[in-house]
Amino acid sequence: MMKGIFAILLLGLLSCQSPTRQQLTVAVAANMQYTIKELIAEFNKTDKTKIEVITGASGNLTQQIMGGAPFDIFISADRKYPQELADKGFTAEAPKVYAQGQLVLWSARPGIEPKSDLQLLLSDSIKRIAIAIPETAPYGHAAVSLLEKYGLYDKVQSKLVRGESITQTSQFIAMQNADIGFTAKAIVVSGEMEGKGKWVELNGDDYPAIEQSAVLLKHAQQGSETEARKFYNFLYSAEAKAIYQKSGYLVK
Amino acid sequence: MIELAPLWLTLKLALSTTLILFVVAIPLATWFSGKKTALKVIIESIVTLPLVLPPTVIGFYLLVAFSPGNAFGKWLEQWADIRLVFSFGGLLIASVVYSLPFMVHPIRSGLSSLPPSLKEASYSLGKTKWQTLLKVLLPNIKPSLLTGLVLTFAHTVGEFGVVLMIGGNMPGKTRTASIAIYDEVQAFHYREANVYALILLVLSFIILLIMYSFNGKMKQVKFY
Repeated sequence: MMKGIFAILLLGLLSCQSPTRQQLTVAVAANMQYTIKELIAEFNKTDKTKIEVITGASGNLTQQIMGGAPFDIFISADRKYPQELADKGFTAEAPKVYAQGQLVLWSARPGIEPKSDLQLLLSDSIKRIAIAIPETAPYGHAAVSLLEKYGLYDKVQSKLVRGESITQTSQFIAMQNADIGFTAKAIVVSGEMEGKGKWVELNGDDYPAIEQSAVLLKHAQQGSETEARKFYNFLYSAEAKAIYQKSGYLVK
Repeated sequence: MIELAPLWLTLKLALSTTLILFVVAIPLATWFSGKKTALKVIIESIVTLPLVLPPTVIGFYLLVAFSPGNAFGKWLEQWADIRLVFSFGGLLIASVVYSLPFMVHPIRSGLSSLPPSLKEASYSLGKTKWQTLLKVLLPNIKPSLLTGLVLTFAHTVGEFGVVLMIGGNMPGKTRTASIAIYDEVQAFHYREANVYALILLVLSFIILLIMYSFNGKMKQVKFY
């Protein structure tokens, strides 16, 4: 009896282990959460490799990679974090820019009309402004630079609520818990957020360029490196560029 | 950079929560310790829910309830000009809900463990229910009261998930010590994270030390 149960358990364990298909794990900056799905769908048209996506603020993901997280590719929201990983020897090669992110001002509250001169933020009707936490989220860093450039940072600082990643920031705005906020264009043009409130694109010259970079990680070398490299190269292909463009990014 | 604000905020939140819950929990626990009724069983289950639920469930519901886009949040904003999400008040409400069982349970089990003769003697000597509770029952369950106070305080200090979800990380208002540690770690500031963490560790240890040394002197120690 006991032996029988043991055998079944063992069988269960073994069946978990047997690789049916190749699998990649990709760490993806939160602003890319919708775009990555389209990228994978496009990639899977010709290659059936299963790709698992982990999203988070770029800084948080970097932290996890340094802590030994088993990711094959890191798709960041900026250049700084992948570079930091490269400097510390966690990457297989140097990071490359795949697209440029755009910052938008977005509100889901009826009656609030975001304008790119940001003067609206000073109004009393705006009580809470959402940004992503600037220390770990590149879009948050860009938003703070923009506010500083317009001389508004000190004036609105007490209204700022800081989301843990651009996802949480967007959730604050979409649920109307924040009156208005700064997020990525890729979020507001995504199918899931389309038609929720109003947004305006901000002048790209007024904040440091959000050069979104990706990098192949050393961990890939332990597993399916060819597959990882294939998907990594796909990120820079013409098909992928068309998707970035459609999803609210600038492509050079 | 080490700031004192997150630590003060945590202390303020934990003290306020403990105080509010102490007042709320005594009548509740007294009621629970009496005869069992269907309503009581239902209410008691609700009070215990935060013990079982992940903090994210509470965080999510509060986030929805407090949103000015929904009926309750809108009503609060229009009639009282209060927005609970991203505010100390909101955190306080969340903590009170979240830590409720940690105060109610020890007090309730303390009261249940008392022999009924104690209460009966007091009544037959002409004391009212209220006098009996304050002068006879509560003084007899001091270890349980202390356990409730300490557990609630410590549990609020250790709160993270709910605060992360409804706090909005506002320095001085909702950025508690546990959030500050998380931020510092994510930003690679290990030294700062370590200082905050060490302060919390030492604080928690001292609190528990006090609880156990006091409760050791008294006759019984009951958690639940």
